[in-house]
Amino acid sequence: MEIKRLANAALFKNTEIKSSPRILVELIIIAVVFILLSFFLGKPRMTDFMIFGIAVLSYDLIYGYMGHLTIGHMLYFGTGTYSATLFMKLVSPNPLLGIIAGILAGALLAAIVGSLVVRTKGATFALVNMAFNYVGFFLVAYAWADVTGGEDGMASFTGTVGPVNLQQHPLWFYFVLSCLLLSFFLLKKITASPFGVMVKAIKHNETRIKFLGYNVHYYKLVTFVIASALAAFAGTLTTINYGYIAPDYLSPLRNEELIFANLIGGAGNIYGALLGGTLYMVMKDYLSIYVARWELVLGILLVVISLKFRTGLVGFLKKHIQLRSGSGR
Amino acid sequence: MSQIITTVGLSKHFGSLKAVNNVNIAIKEGSINGVIGPNGSGKTTLFNLLSGYFLPTEGTIYFQGEDITHLTPQNRVVKGIGRSFQLVSIFPQLKVYENMVLSVIRFLKRYKTGSRFYLSRIDANKEILNDCMQCLGMVGLEDKAQLRSGELSYGDQRLLEIALTVALKPRLLLLDEPLAGLGDVEISFMLELLQRIKKDFTMVIVEHKITKIEDFIDELFVMSQGFVICQGKPSEVLYTPEVRKCYWGEVD
Repeated sequence: MEIKRLANAALFKNTEIKSSPRILVELIIIAVVFILLSFFLGKPRMTDFMIFGIAVLSYDLIYGYMGHLTIGHMLYFGTGTYSATLFMKLVSPNPLLGIIAGILAGALLAAIVGSLVVRTKGATFALVNMAFNYVGFFLVAYAWADVTGGEDGMASFTGTVGPVNLQQHPLWFYFVLSCLLLSFFLLKKITASPFGVMVKAIKHNETRIKFLGYNVHYYKLVTFVIASALAAFAGTLTTINYGYIAPDYLSPLRNEELIFANLIGGAGNIYGALLGGTLYMVMKDYLSIYVARWELVLGILLVVISLKFRTGLVGFLKKHIQLRSGSGR
Repeated sequence: MSQIITTVGLSKHFGSLKAVNNVNIAIKEGSINGVIGPNGSGKTTLFNLLSGYFLPTEGTIYFQGEDITHLTPQNRVVKGIGRSFQLVSIFPQLKVYENMVLSVIRFLKRYKTGSRFYLSRIDANKEILNDCMQCLGMVGLEDKAQLRSGELSYGDQRLLEIALTVALKPRLLLLDEPLAGLGDVEISFMLELLQRIKKDFTMVIVEHKITKIEDFIDELFVMSQGFVICQGKPSEVLYTPEVRKCYWGEVD
């Protein structure tokens, strides 16, 4: 009883746990920022950025939060893309149903592949995922060319939702913005929950979690499926956005974009993922106008970030703001 | 008193090395037990077998009469076996109170349902926070709840390690060298803590500093080269010639 009283006193006085800002306020701020940016960069371009942002968010859950580097994340992005396209072509042209079908396909594939790969970690995890990704890539690009259009890709036809044409700007822009906010909201929720603690704990010490009585593989699988479904979500938006898809969306080589974006913004931070995703796309779109081999700049930047700013931009800003306000440690 | 855990012919071989060799021990419910022995004598391996970190090469482990030889570590925790680690095993990037979360909710039925586990906010959840702070209060870390646990001093990390295990409220508490690496003040605090909680648990403690815990334990097991060479009351066991010989290298 004495202990309980002391603990309560401590809890409600000197060590009261700070509540983070209300989630609604954050969502509004993000929405305003993206809408403002769209006036400078144009709505179609911002739409591309936001779709990429969802993919980066999904990658952040596995890499940043759970600490598992994978080179096979594009498999789920591509699964979403192709599943939604084929669904709209063969079953129903309704894009909302196409999106749902794509997400389910991505989640299902992740559940199957995941039940194998979550037993590994470190380099094995990264490489086994890459291997699965290559299998998927060759199936889509060559083996199933009759259905998928092979290396040439295929056009995707998006129907309307009742009388509404989703693909028309500015409606499409706001639709994708809502998707981004929804993804952000979901990640924010789960990373602040006991499950979020589990995901972060897996990053540091899987063994200890077993000895706290949890089945680690199960929670790794759940995380893997959530992240993959979110990547598939971004994939389904891509097919509606461009109206054309190619095996490139499934290529393991494009996984590096997700890693770069995560590192620039700061892995293991939802804002970092958004900031990194946007910055990466800005560089990709504008730097390539002025510098023919713009990847060279990216490479140098990545070296600087890896050596000097290990926590990414958000981590860097956080540290300096805390130092200035005197509350930093 | 009934026996809580019993091993029959328990052995673990690593290649030709017999780390644990035909060990038959019975731990009485509610008792405090010590395991001592020189480095490499198989103490930690025995712990790893009891807690499920390794599967034994031969032999059987019974927990409350039930064969648990092939259970996974997490299922043994569910049965009521908790262990701490010799090398501090916490989550250094998490805050101290966050470290406690997984322990305190593990056996709360309310968190079995998905939505509470996946979607409820910890930092606004008074119920979880209270439980965490209570456990931290027990080991005197409540003032440091907001720090990252990697920033704690080594002694505090060890206390957190113990709190992580104790919060699971196991029936059998296995402590692997709880005093290792601690200074004198920290040792006396840790001993005072163990004294305080010992009535709630059956304990097995692996420890080098046997003189520190001598008064505290009921039954002492001495291991050497994988065998349990002697067991009994500490006052008797410590003065048998063969124990003195293998443990302190003294020959009278």
